[in-house]
Amino acid sequence: MIKTPQELIAARDSVREHFFNGWTRIRVGMATCGLAGGAGKLFEAIREQNEKNNYGFFVAETGCNGACFLEPLVDVVLPGQGRITYANMKPSDIENLLLLTFGGRVYTKKAVARATSEHLLSDDTEIPYLQGVIQPDVQKVPPYSEAPFFKNQVRIALRNCGIIDPTSLDEYIAFGGYAGAAKALTQLQPEDVIDEIKRSGLRGRGGGGFPTGRKWEACRKANGAARFVICNADEGDPGAYMDRSIIEGDPHSIIEGMIIGAYAIGARIGYVYVREEYPLAVKRMRLAVQQAEAAGLLGENIFGSGFDFRIRISRGAGAFVCGEETGLIASIEGNAGTPRQRPPYPAQSGLWGMPTNINNVETWNNVPVIITRGAGWFSSIGTPSSKGTKVFSLVGKAKRVGLVEVPMGTSLREVVEQIGGGIQDGGEFKALQTGGPSGGCIPAAHLDCPVDYETLTSLGSMMGSGGMIVMDSRTCMVEMARYFLAFLKEESCGKCVPCREGTLRMLETLSAICEGRGRPEHLDLLKELSEAMADGSLCALGGSAPNPVRSTLHFFEEEYRAHIEERRCPARVCKALIEYQVVRESCTGCGACARVCPVKAAFGKKKAPHEINNGLCTRCGLCADACKFKAIKVA
Amino acid sequence: MQFSLNGRNIAAEPGETVLSVARKNGVFIPTLCHHDAVSPSGACRLCVVQVSSGERSRIVSSCLYAPSENDRVETDTERVRKVRRMVLELLLARCPTVELIRDLARAYGIQRSRFTDGAGPSEERCVLCGLCVRVCDEVVGRHAISHAKRGIQRKITTAFDTQADECIGCGACVRICPTGALHYEDLPEQKQPERVMVELHTRVPLVRCSDCGRAFASPALFEHVSKSVNVPPTTLAACPACRSKSFAATAAQNPPSAPAFARAHARTYQSQLLASINEESS
Ligand SMILES: Cc1cc2nc3c(=O)[nH]c(=O)nc-3n(C[C@H](O)[C@H](O)[C@H](O)COP(=O)(O)O)c2cc1C
Ligand code: SF4
Ligand code: SF4
Ligand code: FES
Repeated sequence: MIKTPQELIAARDSVREHFFNGWTRIRVGMATCGLAGGAGKLFEAIREQNEKNNYGFFVAETGCNGACFLEPLVDVVLPGQGRITYANMKPSDIENLLLLTFGGRVYTKKAVARATSEHLLSDDTEIPYLQGVIQPDVQKVPPYSEAPFFKNQVRIALRNCGIIDPTSLDEYIAFGGYAGAAKALTQLQPEDVIDEIKRSGLRGRGGGGFPTGRKWEACRKANGAARFVICNADEGDPGAYMDRSIIEGDPHSIIEGMIIGAYAIGARIGYVYVREEYPLAVKRMRLAVQQAEAAGLLGENIFGSGFDFRIRISRGAGAFVCGEETGLIASIEGNAGTPRQRPPYPAQSGLWGMPTNINNVETWNNVPVIITRGAGWFSSIGTPSSKGTKVFSLVGKAKRVGLVEVPMGTSLREVVEQIGGGIQDGGEFKALQTGGPSGGCIPAAHLDCPVDYETLTSLGSMMGSGGMIVMDSRTCMVEMARYFLAFLKEESCGKCVPCREGTLRMLETLSAICEGRGRPEHLDLLKELSEAMADGSLCALGGSAPNPVRSTLHFFEEEYRAHIEERRCPARVCKALIEYQVVRESCTGCGACARVCPVKAAFGKKKAPHEINNGLCTRCGLCADACKFKAIKVA
Repeated sequence: MQFSLNGRNIAAEPGETVLSVARKNGVFIPTLCHHDAVSPSGACRLCVVQVSSGERSRIVSSCLYAPSENDRVETDTERVRKVRRMVLELLLARCPTVELIRDLARAYGIQRSRFTDGAGPSEERCVLCGLCVRVCDEVVGRHAISHAKRGIQRKITTAFDTQADECIGCGACVRICPTGALHYEDLPEQKQPERVMVELHTRVPLVRCSDCGRAFASPALFEHVSKSVNVPPTTLAACPACRSKSFAATAAQNPPSAPAFARAHARTYQSQLLASINEESS
């Protein structure tokens, strides 16, 4: 039990000593992404061989450090040498890795980065790993500060992810955890906490970017018999997984943020709303809540302050629209997750009609360090209007993909080129899609813009929850808009006309254009429909659903026109508008195309140039993949 | 509380909606999913208006929006009309045969929808305004029907699309439906007369009037009405026509006390509703 701030410090110091004391520790990245990459098998193999050979290593799991392109990841703390990160590990690597580790050496083949100390963000201390003479093979491993992908990042939200064991409350505490809650509850008045958050400039990370401190203040001042706080971990954006990663890798940071927020607002009950599709996140969150309760960090009289707070976990129904705050509240109440018109805002009338404060996972996770390090520190990072950092899930055609955290104001170019490493396979950059399915596309001409709420909005896109998809010249912008509209049409709750009927008709129109049935008047129709949906929809799902269309029409109108006026898809993606053709000069008549074609559209005599019957061809592209002589081209 | 409505300064009760204030002041705002008998929902977006406070101006639905002090509300700007026109064009594509939608669309200058080319004629009549669900919930108190599914698949139905035992066959949903999407059909000649709620997968038995023998209402409806207005079920055994005849006769001989008269005449939900619907449309 931790009943006072002094006990917290005592617990912290004792675990810290243990953590940095020179044991050989092996950690496997076991978040959902790592598990998908085969981390479960690795973990078992390491445990087995550790036992069989009596190595005596301390083996545990950790969360995701963001470098998903390097999964599965294994971290080894080598006494005297520091922490070494190994990437793309296979079970066949384990034997050598353990053997070398046992001999105090590095498995150079797969080592990608090393840390000689850890910076504990919460109390700004740098703790070195036990230092010895650094071995030459260790020296060859680039330090984190020089490793590509990592060196341009600043980690606040992901401070503990991939480093601590998310199933260990002790390790969270060792890294400075719960110090923010201790300080807030025992040294600050609720108004002071709100003031600190206001001065920090923290804005919501769930999409809207509303100033967090102002939202807390509105909720605190609203009349109501009870108040609630909610953590929105619905994360329905396809391809985005920053919230999942934070919960899986650092669940206590959310609990701590919520304790501080609840204290400031005057809530005694909090809900974490996690989507059903995140079983591991639910499990980690549940365990963390139990641990915090057992330690007295949740429950009655926390830190002897007289403040009581409990957290319940509510499982989402798996609909995108349940992430919208009024839909989410309806869902926790046990009703269909259908949004309702705001105002009244949840701060006035939320869960069961009571003042309710709802924040995103990443927002809550930022709160503890703002309290320990102060608003001044936090607001020194970022731009005048957007403070701190933001986690993005960088996916698509970049060389390095994963979760990246950068200060607000970092240029998009730096994210794509320095961190992402540019385009795969020597391709050419075309656009960066940000903000999730209802975000927009930013073309190369605007890549030097800084990431912050206002800039992204002014470019017709948005911050959203932090999705970033890198697109290259092989992406068709019309098809891309169609893809997102198909998603949004499925996810519309169907309550209001502009969204329910509008997403359907918008999708139909885009499909017509992609399928070669586009007409010149479709462009005006899309623009008119966009405007009415944006203005007329009941909630922001419908309100922002036209964004993919609006932004591609704005920056890539000529591509729409090519589809409509010339029946041509410049990116050669839209099946109805392309043809596979044989380049007669290159064709050797090997017959590979004819063998793979499932509809027998490719044909020809042996050793003579083959042909493709475009009436039969379904544009599956198998022949082009099968041709060793690059004799099949798309026209 | 003062705000401006189309340039006129108007006083409103705190919490009162723009729609309600506008109606009191003779300003017409079209609506589709609003009905005074049930709570507002904001589903159709036909009633949108433009609200400006300071520099910012936005579109809200007037059936839900309660103005703040000094808001400037405009009910018929070009921006507002654009939303209404698109809502109607979208609804016309969905329900091309519904007279009400065609009339409203025509009033906004839309003869045909640009979204339907090539598509076969749709027989859909339901605009998903949700009035039927709300009346069953809030006025009748039976929760017999609800919305099912998401997005364009959303529909009005009973639980699991089967017989709803909660349904008492009162027909409130049928009467409140602005587009004629719901129907019931009485089968009075059957041995056990029934009311068939055509779109709602439900059949409700009917009893015959104690006087004229016409099959006119379900036992469940009797029970429901008798409980909620506190009159013995026997009072309800006669159909409304026979009942008023007999009341008139009794009253002529022996005028009842006012409260007793009121109780005896307690209108069924149906007639209450009908009255309010008629008031609305007149
Ligand atoms: C369709 C839709 C989906 C949303 N999904 C999420 C989500 O998955 N997670 C989230 O935190 N916010 C989501 N939001 C934003 C929430 O409504 C709300 O603004 C947010 O949780 C507030 O927290 P913040 O101030 O910390 O950003 C969504 C909004 C809309 C309109
Ligand atoms: S905008 Fe879409 S998701 Fe939101 S209430 Fe309307 S139909 Fe539902
Ligand atoms: S059936 Fe009628 S009342 Fe019910 S939602 Fe459809 S249109 Fe509205
Ligand atoms: S009448 Fe207001 S939204 Fe339908």
